[in-house]
Amino acid sequence: MIGSRTLRVEDMRFLRGEGCYVADRQLPFMAEAMIVRSPHAHAHIVKIDLTKALAMPGVLAAVAARDLPASVKPIPCRIPTHGDVTPFLQPILAHDVVRYVGEPVAVVVAATRALAEDAAELVDIEWDTLPQITTVQDAARADTVRIHERGNVATAWSIDIGDVDVAFEAASVKITHKFKTGRQTGLPLETRGILASYDSGRRYLEVFGPTKIPHINRRMLAAMLDIPEGSIRFVEPDVGGSFGVRGEFYPEDFLVPWLSMRLRTPIRWIEDRFEHFAAINHSRQAEFEVTASADADGRLTAFELHLMSDMGAYMRTHGDVVPSYIAAGFTGPYRVRNYRAKASALLTNKSPTGTIRSPGTFEANFARERMVDMLAEKLGMDSVELRRKNLIRPTELPWKVGTIGGGHPTVYDSGDFPAIFERALTEFGWTTAPACADGRTGRGISVSVEPSALGVFESARIDIGVDGFVRVVTGCTSQGQGQETILAQVAAETLTVPIDRIAVIHGDTGEIAFGGGTNASRAAVMAGNAVHAAAVSVKEKALRAVAIKLECVETDLVLQNGRVEIAGAPGSGLALGEVARLLLPGDPQLLPSSEARVQPDHGGLTATNMVRGVPSGTSVFAVHLAEVEVDRELGLIRVKRLLVACDIGRAINPMIVEGQVVGGAIQGLGCALLEEITHDEQGQLQTATLADYLVPNSYDAPTVKAVIIEQALSPSNPLGVKGVGEVGPTGVGAAIGNAIADALQVQDCIDELPISPERLLRAMGGLAA
Amino acid sequence: MKPAAFEYFAPKSVEEAILLLAADDQACPLAGGQSLAPMMNLRLARPSALIDLNRIVDLAGVTEREDRLLIGAMTRQAELLRNPLVTRRAPLVAQALALVGHPATRARGTMGGSLSNADPAAELPVVMLALDAEFILRGPSGERRIKVEDFLIGMFETAIGPGELLIAIDIPSARSDDVSVFLEISRRHGDFAVVSVAANLSLADGLICTSARLALGGTAPAPLRCKTAEAVLVGQELSDRVISDCVDAIDPATIEMESHGASKAYRLQATRVLTRRALQAARLRSGAAA
Repeated sequence: MIGSRTLRVEDMRFLRGEGCYVADRQLPFMAEAMIVRSPHAHAHIVKIDLTKALAMPGVLAAVAARDLPASVKPIPCRIPTHGDVTPFLQPILAHDVVRYVGEPVAVVVAATRALAEDAAELVDIEWDTLPQITTVQDAARADTVRIHERGNVATAWSIDIGDVDVAFEAASVKITHKFKTGRQTGLPLETRGILASYDSGRRYLEVFGPTKIPHINRRMLAAMLDIPEGSIRFVEPDVGGSFGVRGEFYPEDFLVPWLSMRLRTPIRWIEDRFEHFAAINHSRQAEFEVTASADADGRLTAFELHLMSDMGAYMRTHGDVVPSYIAAGFTGPYRVRNYRAKASALLTNKSPTGTIRSPGTFEANFARERMVDMLAEKLGMDSVELRRKNLIRPTELPWKVGTIGGGHPTVYDSGDFPAIFERALTEFGWTTAPACADGRTGRGISVSVEPSALGVFESARIDIGVDGFVRVVTGCTSQGQGQETILAQVAAETLTVPIDRIAVIHGDTGEIAFGGGTNASRAAVMAGNAVHAAAVSVKEKALRAVAIKLECVETDLVLQNGRVEIAGAPGSGLALGEVARLLLPGDPQLLPSSEARVQPDHGGLTATNMVRGVPSGTSVFAVHLAEVEVDRELGLIRVKRLLVACDIGRAINPMIVEGQVVGGAIQGLGCALLEEITHDEQGQLQTATLADYLVPNSYDAPTVKAVIIEQALSPSNPLGVKGVGEVGPTGVGAAIGNAIADALQVQDCIDELPISPERLLRAMGGLAA
Repeated sequence: MKPAAFEYFAPKSVEEAILLLAADDQACPLAGGQSLAPMMNLRLARPSALIDLNRIVDLAGVTEREDRLLIGAMTRQAELLRNPLVTRRAPLVAQALALVGHPATRARGTMGGSLSNADPAAELPVVMLALDAEFILRGPSGERRIKVEDFLIGMFETAIGPGELLIAIDIPSARSDDVSVFLEISRRHGDFAVVSVAANLSLADGLICTSARLALGGTAPAPLRCKTAEAVLVGQELSDRVISDCVDAIDPATIEMESHGASKAYRLQATRVLTRRALQAARLRSGAAA
């Protein structure tokens, strides 16, 4: 079962339109909420007048910050990495100052969303606008506007490994270059949404719509509402994508449940696309200054990084993890022991930022891999050869970089990087001769290491009923990745039960007490191993019970075809359903004698298991290769071919793995060429519709070849799997950037993502300023 | 993204629609709704009433009259794209429509809707200018016919008066020595154009240019005819030198539009490159025909 290309069990309902998303759920007496958001990037709120909105027929409530309970604190940072960010946290509703366009300032609840939108227009707010900051350069200036009392620098930290000065001194080639990566977001097809329903009689709050990490967000909500965690149930419905952006604790995650409790009626908030672009977390916007050196033989000797990361207006749930990952993993898969970095997380009057797929790594890979190509040119060396020479050797693993990213030590656990590199080149048909010196066609390489499977633990329970049906309950969640299929496969492998008799339940805090959720490419590794452990426990329990029943020893028994049988005697023994009956609490079949008076308590054929994570997770070595064609007159780029090769340890379902890698690569293509959230000088969001924020469509997507290599089982977990969710995008910006530079035969001009036609022409000097 | 409250009417005839439009100057006709509906959802458009034209059967269809083609305003873009009359008699329309949106939007979107909306980045207005189309409008005081230059006034602005409705578009059919080419730059297939060029030429014996209309989109609030560049072509063979002179005749001052990621400088360069490529393609096509 593990390793088979099982069709995704969830697809049938999605393809038939039978998926049930939060917007598909309705409850009697349900009202709808509309968030009133700031139209200014930076302003004092002089007065909020809700009377007209409240007077409108159909309106149930209109609230501002002054109406919130006094116990409500700003949204906490879940992962403070490089210092205390408390002075920079976002309040649930802005009370005296707004700091970005789209910041929530009031909520209106009405019978329908249309009425709520009408009422929102009647909320009368008097503003006193303040000067705004929209770039990290401005934010860093000492004499500038202070967005927060404590200034605009949320955190700053440094890394110093080896002796960079000595390496630079001794180097025969040393170059410095600046890079920029644009502001982007995950853009799930389904916007966010929450339906909260409070049963005031039972004091029980049900919240539909949370995903990614419901258990952790439930705890945060319980603390803010000051009610027991156990009186809240979070239920994950079907979810139309996340790509990193759905797991923050957003203001609405408090507002909607709180309003349901206050109004004692179900409240639904479905984010519309227009507000989504301002409300969802942004990511990736950073400026780099990189210095790199090599000796005459092409040995990379040192990297130095100055990083300024644009965090937006507040430090939110994920704090500074994105720049933390950039700085921690910057040296990539190279044997470089001299590395120095100075990083800062700076605040600007734009939407707050968090993680999106391949957080930090996509950006770091772009800057580093572009530098490697520039160094190759300076050295007069082929860029393939330069990489070949410097990749970490298998004998050098595990490789400890010596940095901490997002609280996790940066460690590459396993693999043969050079072998995978060569395999990728062969699969691509990379020849030593330049592809084509026509000035139009170019090829580019990226090599990188993507961390995965971070997080402390995961839990799973397996219940087998007397009917023989299996329920796998997991603390992870699914936003469409295929967890229902792969976790069923993992259970089926041990339990020898067909997959159509296994149901996977996820994302429901009412079903399982603990869960780490789905993030950081962890579901297959963490939830997969938790399910595996629970399946092994259930199997052991079944074998013990049957050994008692049949008066034999456990070692005489095997579990096959869903039956516990005496080895060598197919058809003997009991089916798992019968074993479950045997183990029903109170079932007398296993009584030592018919006269025994105490009914046994067998506890059912069920097991709950926890697995612990390795602090550094597992790491995936990946090679991205691209071939592009550049229209030098128009700056248009056509990606002709894209290849991603990666060592994922073991593929539970190779079809799903390929889907993750190919889809991720296309997303990376968007990040490389199309996607950019822009603000004007006033901090107004300019990209608030799908006509402005461009993602790749099927017409423009090239064929992507995914070379899935199962070479080195991860030593971090019993299944040996590595997380694959974020490998797809991670090196695409780097490979495309290098391919374009190769086509143009000019190395130092491609230094900003995304590479728009105009940006490319300007970089080439082909456009008047 | 819910529209502000509005009234809804579904008239069965043009006369009825005009009466409804004339009665309320904030009313707005609804054609395919591919621009209007999103604008209403964003509350950028707030008509007091929608006059739904989708039940007026005689507003749709394509008819050939001698050397002209009459296209009903409510003809769907998808229908035009598969209509052999359009392919044969108005190949420029067919070329451009393949770049307008996607199958789903073309199935609803109409010719008249797109032209009445007059989006400065839309393809069809540029094509109409290159084709020297005429627009038939009907209102409370009867019917009038105006030239494309007078119809397309500015950004989202047309000559449609209060209570008036665009009924049909009348274009000259392509003759045997006509060659037309439509080229555009868009960031993705199906997006509105950043800039577009429609070239409609007559090449006697596939060689000497006897007439030329060059229309540019994405350069100014309304599509622009580049008469100085056209003048370079007339009476000439489409040699590399003539094409180059024609491209040079595009005055940088014609570029008024700019946006994030497409400055005036980029639009000028792109317009010149597209014009050159369009003329080269025209030369190639006429050569193939001759």
